[in-house]
Amino acid sequence: MKQFTLKIIASILVLASGMSVQAQLPDQVFKAAGSPVNPKVTVTWNRYYDHAGISEICKKIAAAYPELAKLQSIGKSFEGRDLWCLTITDFKKGNVDKKPGMYIDGNIHSNEIQGAEFALYTAWYLTESFGDTKFIQELLEDKVFYIVPTINPDARDSYMHKPNTASSPRSGVIPVDNDGDGLVNEDNYDDLNKDGHITMMRRKNPNGRWKLDPKDPRSMVQVGPDEKGEYEILGIEGIDNDGDGRVNEDGYTFEYDPNRDWGWGWQPNYIQNGAYKYPFSLPENRAVMEFVVKHPNIAAAQSFHNSGGMILRGPGGQEDIGTYNQQDIAVYDAIAKKGEELIPGYKYLVVYKDLYSAYGGELDWFYAGRGIYTYSNELWTPFLMFMKEGSRDPSENPAFSFDRYLLFQDAFVPWKEYDHPQYGKIEVGGMKKNYGRAHPGFLLESDAHRNMAFSIYHCFHTPKLEVSEITEKDLGDGLKEVTAVITNTRLMPTHSSQDAKNKIERPDYISLTTTGKILSGMHVENRDLNLSVEQEQNPQTIEVPNIPGLGSVTVKWIVQGGGKYTVSVDSKKGGTVTASK
Amino acid sequence: MITTLLCWIAGTICAQDYSNATQQASRLDALAKAYPQMASLKSLTKTNGGKDIWVLTIGTGKTETKPAIAVIGGVEGNHLLGAELAIGFAEQLLKGSNTDSIRALLNRTTYYVFPNMSPDAMEQYFGKLRYDRTGNATTTDEDRDGKADEDGWDDLDGNAKISFMRVESVTGDYKVHPDDARVLVKADISKGEKGKYKLFSEGADNDKDGQFNEDAEGGIAFNKNLTYIHKTFAAGAGDYPASEKETRALLDFLYDAFNVYAVVSFGSNNNLSTPLTYNPQAAAQRIVAGLLEPDAKVNGMVSELYNKVTGTKDAPRSNVTGGDVLSWGYFHYGRYSFSTPGWWVPKTKPDTTKKEKAFTLEDPTANYLRWASQQGIANTFTEWKTIQHPDFPGQKVEVGGVDPYVLNNPPYKMADDVVKKHTAFLVKLASHQAEIDIVNLKTEKLANGLTRISVDVVNKGGLSTHSKLGERSYFIKKVKVAVQTSGKQEVVGGRKINLLNSIEANGASSFSWVVKGTGKLVVEAGCPTAGTKTIEVNL
Repeated sequence: MKQFTLKIIASILVLASGMSVQAQLPDQVFKAAGSPVNPKVTVTWNRYYDHAGISEICKKIAAAYPELAKLQSIGKSFEGRDLWCLTITDFKKGNVDKKPGMYIDGNIHSNEIQGAEFALYTAWYLTESFGDTKFIQELLEDKVFYIVPTINPDARDSYMHKPNTASSPRSGVIPVDNDGDGLVNEDNYDDLNKDGHITMMRRKNPNGRWKLDPKDPRSMVQVGPDEKGEYEILGIEGIDNDGDGRVNEDGYTFEYDPNRDWGWGWQPNYIQNGAYKYPFSLPENRAVMEFVVKHPNIAAAQSFHNSGGMILRGPGGQEDIGTYNQQDIAVYDAIAKKGEELIPGYKYLVVYKDLYSAYGGELDWFYAGRGIYTYSNELWTPFLMFMKEGSRDPSENPAFSFDRYLLFQDAFVPWKEYDHPQYGKIEVGGMKKNYGRAHPGFLLESDAHRNMAFSIYHCFHTPKLEVSEITEKDLGDGLKEVTAVITNTRLMPTHSSQDAKNKIERPDYISLTTTGKILSGMHVENRDLNLSVEQEQNPQTIEVPNIPGLGSVTVKWIVQGGGKYTVSVDSKKGGTVTASK
Repeated sequence: MITTLLCWIAGTICAQDYSNATQQASRLDALAKAYPQMASLKSLTKTNGGKDIWVLTIGTGKTETKPAIAVIGGVEGNHLLGAELAIGFAEQLLKGSNTDSIRALLNRTTYYVFPNMSPDAMEQYFGKLRYDRTGNATTTDEDRDGKADEDGWDDLDGNAKISFMRVESVTGDYKVHPDDARVLVKADISKGEKGKYKLFSEGADNDKDGQFNEDAEGGIAFNKNLTYIHKTFAAGAGDYPASEKETRALLDFLYDAFNVYAVVSFGSNNNLSTPLTYNPQAAAQRIVAGLLEPDAKVNGMVSELYNKVTGTKDAPRSNVTGGDVLSWGYFHYGRYSFSTPGWWVPKTKPDTTKKEKAFTLEDPTANYLRWASQQGIANTFTEWKTIQHPDFPGQKVEVGGVDPYVLNNPPYKMADDVVKKHTAFLVKLASHQAEIDIVNLKTEKLANGLTRISVDVVNKGGLSTHSKLGERSYFIKKVKVAVQTSGKQEVVGGRKINLLNSIEANGASSFSWVVKGTGKLVVEAGCPTAGTKTIEVNL
């Protein structure tokens, strides 16, 4: 009882102090253009959050804006963590399930953490800016965002709370016997100096091929052919734990690659390194897949990775070149080129061509499997350090000078001697895991904002349908011809070419309601030349395969009687619209 | 009545027809109860139709440590024989388990029997309307028009089975078989032939889209749903590979069964009567499209064994179309993979007493009808009968043709013989499995307390420990050769742990270690697909 009372008092105190910190008095602050001036949910955007931290921010956003944000768990991770999804839209306007949707996730690779903050920033910004930004109000009236900050929460927490490099774990945490010796995870990295970071091991060796960098002795450079070195590099911090003559060959840090687990062009592990057992054999991806299938209104998608400063589209595999046809590529190009403008240092690239062939990737399934226009952004680029392209001159070594002059050497673990059971006297040190791939704190918010702006542009260009014309023509003998023109004012068609080709989503329905009797219905192919195709069955609802981006379709009906006409359009990815005449 | 009585007296199950799901379950349950030391039954999942996917594990002791063969039936829902073969194999094997040879077999080999991967579809054979069904109970939109199951079959002649309908048409592409007027064959336009009929499966165009029976009840077909060359978006394949519970249940089980070295499935694909051959180009592709050379040799060797043991011949050619379990077993699971339909209509000879002549045109239906009549099988053909068809006003439409199921399933009374032959094959196959042994142990004292140990690790079996392709798999355990030291023993020369990709049939690999210390030391060699051996060495 006593404990219980204490708890209550403690939580009241926390609440009280929280409130006093949370909201600045309105007259103490002055709005910076384009940012929420006095947000209801205060989030510090120059640091990272583990799964519990993300969960708390999600809950706060949903609680602060019940009419703009709803929180649900779309499934559980392998270790039972919730996969949180924030649905962001103007819940007071329209049918949410029928608004064209934009899906955003981050962190599929667990070490690529900032995707979660970028996604979350988007949810936060949309809700906090809704009140005083007309553009956001209109956007959320038309569209819905589904934001899943992390789709790999188990290994996100592992990355943060266990010793790791900047590149580990890329995986989730389902155990795998990497080396096929019958034992699982028997030889992981070892945090020899117990600092939570897995860095490098080096050893003094008169025959070594490395020496200290004269410009920054923390760094190592290779010696020239006629030069003598002082050090050899032994590799990543670790011990041969199982005595098989190999170091760090079977740890939890790389079991599989969750981005090789998706149901389009999937290949087994011996062809595509990282693949697990079959498409969606990882519970986190399966939950996302099921969510997407249940939300056919999702027309656009974004996944956040790191690093390199890229806006990527598929195909992932060379075999899939034919999947992307010119029409779809034109849409991809238009949006991504805007993205290059909005996010300095980022380049628009095609995975198979500019990176490497990768089968079973998330973006391939979203596009080829569901017909959804999808990008993967590789967040963070060394360009952002000094706002210039990286140099090939090794003496410039911008990573070290950035750390020295802007981070004040916070990103580096100084070399320190260690007595290694197999290598003897060695030194351990190097860059910390939060440097090199994750944004440094002060650059996090601005890059998150720019990437969000790209997502908003992407979402803006999901289809927006209008009934732009309803015309009645008297054919005599009590017969009327009713023509309707449906216009799509945005870049994306209601069916991407891949969708139309494989009939992934049903056709768009254009229905006429009238007091008269509908005798015939037609899809008009060329209005000027009077070419049309009759739909004999169910003429009241004309099925059109697609409503093109920045284009229109025309349908017409022959009606006996006539009177008032209501035309309704129902498109899975294009939304619904109704007009009367 | 007499037969029933005899069966009753003999105390055996003596069915007159193939088993439905309930009967299959009770036969499996009876085995698990009758042979508790050798058989255990487990349900892996329930399908969307609420049917269990069973696995019967047959073996003794620690079954997961013995090299294993996976036996898969019901690969296609219209292949009743496949399920019968799998269950029948289990019954006959266990019945024979009082013999020394089967007992010895079950001491060294485990069988995982998956009797029926298509229980939803197979139930259609026992249902009110009998039609050729391979799709499970998942609701699908086969013609992708936004509506599900809106145009199924219609029993126009009211005989409770779906056969065919033919429509007289000037643009018809079928003609009457020259030797059997009941049978329709494609007109050969290149030879100037003209067709007389259009041929459809029995039904109406319920949704008036110009197609017949294109979206019937019945969803995803197991043998199109697997991951190798999955035909995404094709009817019955699923919108992504392994979309179905039964598919995933099988894959999840098998990926964890590291001891499985061969998969034998019963379905329309056949690489046992005629082996798949080695095609260097296909095998060298990045997405491997053909058997690697050593694996093609194994297929040839096992095919020879199959033909010899079963005595079958004249098998029709089969084409692997993708998403199938035969391809998955090899290309994705990395194990030796075999498939056979088990039975096909034998090639008939003309019955001269009936003044029959040899066919001038080979056709499976014509051959079946001749064979059926010679066997005294009646009532599997419906004579063509004119009906009024709403979709063809003013045209002559006839319903008739051969029954579903009869071309790929023998009459039940013939199944027992097929089961016996295939049981013999599955037993013989196991006699070729890889078997690791440690031989030629040599210990040399180099000094006091310093010993050189050398051994040969051999594979005494007729198959490699791993398929060549399987050596690349992430979900296979390598051959491990290791010394286990104790006390103060120390390996000062050689590798304490060695991992080998494989040891081929009759292959050997030599190892030696220099060990400091005294007492007993253990050398261990093996892998799950070939068993593990240990020997003790006195230093």
